[in-house]
Order: sequence, then C-alpha cells, then structure tokens
Amino acid sequence: MASRRRTLLKVIILGDSGVGKTSLMNQYVNKKFSNQYKATIGADFLTKEVQFEDRLFTLQIWDTAGQERFQSLGVAFYRGADCCVLVYDVNSMKSFDNLNNWREEFLIQASPSDPDNFPFVLLGNKVDVDGGNSRVVSEKKAKAWCASKGNIPYFETSAKDGINVEEAFQCIVKNALKNEPEEELYMPDTVDVVGGNRGQGSSGCC
Amino acid sequence: RDEGAATSSRTHLVAEFKAALERKVVDLAELRRLACQGVPDDPAVRPVVWKQLLLGYLPMDHALWAYELEKKRSQYSAFKDELLVNPSEVTRRMEMTISKRKEHNSEGTGFLPRAEIVQDEHPLSLGKTSVWNQHFQESETVEQIDRDVKRTHPEMQFFNGGSSDALSNQESLKRILTIFAKLNPGIRYVQGMNEVLAPLYYVFKNDPDQSNSASAESDAFFCFVEVLSGFRDNFCKQLDNSVVGIRSTISKLSQLLKRHDEELWRHLEV
Repeated sequence: MASRRRTLLKVIILGDSGVGKTSLMNQYVNKKFSNQYKATIGADFLTKEVQFEDRLFTLQIWDTAGQERFQSLGVAFYRGADCCVLVYDVNSMKSFDNLNNWREEFLIQASPSDPDNFPFVLLGNKVDVDGGNSRVVSEKKAKAWCASKGNIPYFETSAKDGINVEEAFQCIVKNALKNEPEEELYMPDTVDVVGGNRGQGSSGCC
Repeated sequence: RDEGAATSSRTHLVAEFKAALERKVVDLAELRRLACQGVPDDPAVRPVVWKQLLLGYLPMDHALWAYELEKKRSQYSAFKDELLVNPSEVTRRMEMTISKRKEHNSEGTGFLPRAEIVQDEHPLSLGKTSVWNQHFQESETVEQIDRDVKRTHPEMQFFNGGSSDALSNQESLKRILTIFAKLNPGIRYVQGMNEVLAPLYYVFKNDPDQSNSASAESDAFFCFVEVLSGFRDNFCKQLDNSVVGIRSTISKLSQLLKRHDEELWRHLEV
C-alpha cells in the first residue's frame, strides 16, 4: 500500500430550525421527501457511498438541530469536517440573516487549520413554496453574500421536488476534497503504536 | 396459548391496579411496586396512575381529588387569561382603567376627559418592560413552538392529519408550551419538550372520564411541569457550565458508559 487515501468525507449541515436540513439530507440519500420529519434533537447522521473521479468515498452527512440552544452543547462532531453546508429558507429573511452566525460558530467550534479557505456550500431551500411568490431573499442577495465570503458555491434547492439536490451534493463532495492534504497521498505505511484499529476515517494531519 | 396467558396476566395486572386505586387513601408504596413492572395501557388506569403516583399531581386521599383538580384547573385557566392575551389587548385594558380613573377624577373639575396613550405601551417603544418589547422577544419562541408542534408525532391522526380534533390537540400543546415558556423565562422552550409533553396529553385526553378528558390540557400542563422539574437545570443555558448543568450531566453519562462498556465509550470519544 503506497498511499493511505482518505475514503471518508464528513459533511456538516447547519442552518435555522425548519429550513429543511433533514429533508435535504433525506432527499439526497434516500430520494424521498416526507412531511413527517420530526424536529431534529441534537444531531443525527446518514451515510452514502459516492463515486468521484474514479474514487469511492463514504459520505457521512451530519444533520443538526436548528435551535440555538443546542449549539453550545454537542458540537464535538463539528471537528474533522471536510465541508460545511449552510442552509437557509428563501422564504425567511431571518434564516438568511443568521447565516453569518452559523458560519462563524462553525469556524470557532471546528477550528479548521485554514479557516479562510475552509469549504462551505450555501443552499437556498424551499424554492417550490407557493410557486416562488412568498420568496423574500433574492438570488442576487444570496450570491452577493457568497461572494463576500470568498466565493462560496450557491444552489437554489427544493428538497420537496428534488430540485438541484443531487447537483448541490456533487459540488459538496468536490469541495470537501479540495482541502485534502497533498502529503497524505504520499504517506508511507505506518506502524500504529496505539494498537487499536482506528479505521481509515480517523487518518488525518493532526 | 402464550397470547392467552399474556392476556390473562394483563387482565390480572389491570385488576390489581384498579384495586389499588380504589382504596380510600391510595397506598403509594403498593402503587409503586405495581408500577415498576410497567403501567398497563388501560384508559382507566394509566392516566390516574401517571397523575398521581408518578407525578404527585393527585393527592393520595380520594376525598381531596375533586378539590385539588378544581383548584389546579382554575389556576391553569388564569394562566391562559393572563399569559396568552396579545399586547393590543393588554394596552386596551390599561387604557380602559386609566380612562375610567380620568372620568372619575374629572367629575366636577370642568376638565374634559381625553384619551391618553399609556406611556411606553406602543409597538415602537424601546422600553425593556414594554409589553410590546416582550411580545417581540417571545414571538421567536412562539414561532419555534408552532413549527415543532406541527411536526409532533406526524404519523398519528390524533396530532396530525388536519381533522378538527387534531388541530385542537395541536392548539392545546402550543398553549401548554407557551405558558411554560412564559413562566420560565430562563428556560423558555427547548426543542424536544414537545416530545415529552405529547404522551402526557395523549393519555389524559383519552381518559374515558369526560371531565378528565375535557381538562386534559390543564392536567397535562401541571404534570409536564412535574416531569421537567426533575431535570430542569439541564435546559437552562446559564447553568451549562455549572455542576447541575447539561454538560455535567453528559459527562456523568460518559463516565457511566466508560465503566460499563469501555470499548463503546472509546469509540464515541474519539
């Protein structure tokens, strides 16, 4: 084995309560939409096998509770994330205004080695609602925000109708790989002094 | 045959519970002993056992039940009147009191009574104590409650599906959670409380006794408060870093897990 390629990609979904985080994750992983999701308490995750440029990955998607109260508690799982997906509801200005808080909170809690270049992807969800008539955040406004944060990729999605969900997650995978440390590809076989098999998911640069 | 045996032991258990509940003064130790095997899902048993034994809402002495329930239910009704009125109504009531007083004062003085804006009680007021300011702060909580109540047990017709009963049950859950949030400003509403409340309300609402079923909302409110009182500090953000807060509770759980299943504990910690 010449290289220890990373096969696990960890993605965290953040955003206000009720913007559709659970629905987006389920639409992508299970190709299903339901009105019957309960509010997410704490955090939950799903995994999906994905292929990207001839490599196979296990995508581990972490869905989180939207209420602020949960932020100060279980955020240990932010650490080691390869990409952070921010979600807002295009019909709710407040959910858009809170994006700054979510982004900053993530950077503080996850403390990535290169915060300025950490990959985020923004999703404006629920574009199907009311045929777009109740929309309050324009695409232009969302794109301007993305530009101001170092050109964050942006998608307008409907978890309900499956619009742009596949495309968005393709982009998420691509961006999650962006910060894959080069040297990792040339890492020689190592002796695991800890003794336990920690699995490939915990390989990293720390 | 096993099924028959199970049914007969369940019937026997229900009968034991009923006998225990029919005593003039309920023997709490006896009821607890019975309950540790589970309280059967019998509409004549479960609501009263929950209210009484587990939550101390009903007194042990039957003779006091009617009085106690009456007292609590009217207290809840007062909470609704006091806490669920909208700010316009509060302002209107204040103005009425003031104008009444004015009318009274102006008698015989020759001054014409005129309408007066209650100081600081208007939507643009910046005063911290203004009912409108409180209203805007609370509206976020109310919106969160609304979102979560709509997705509480979505698979059950009782809570969901658009029937008028389901809608009225949702309204009850919303009122209970809103009143609790207003009475407990340090805690307000935390996602998941809806899941704690729902089974209480469901069981009380399905009580075959008409008057109990009609008061399910108020009974569920007080029992919900009782349930939460055991771990309310975990909900309070200001206590997160104290020995009674949620972080400390989580680390106790982690220590317990470590003691009983170190391998799983290590897996979760890494």
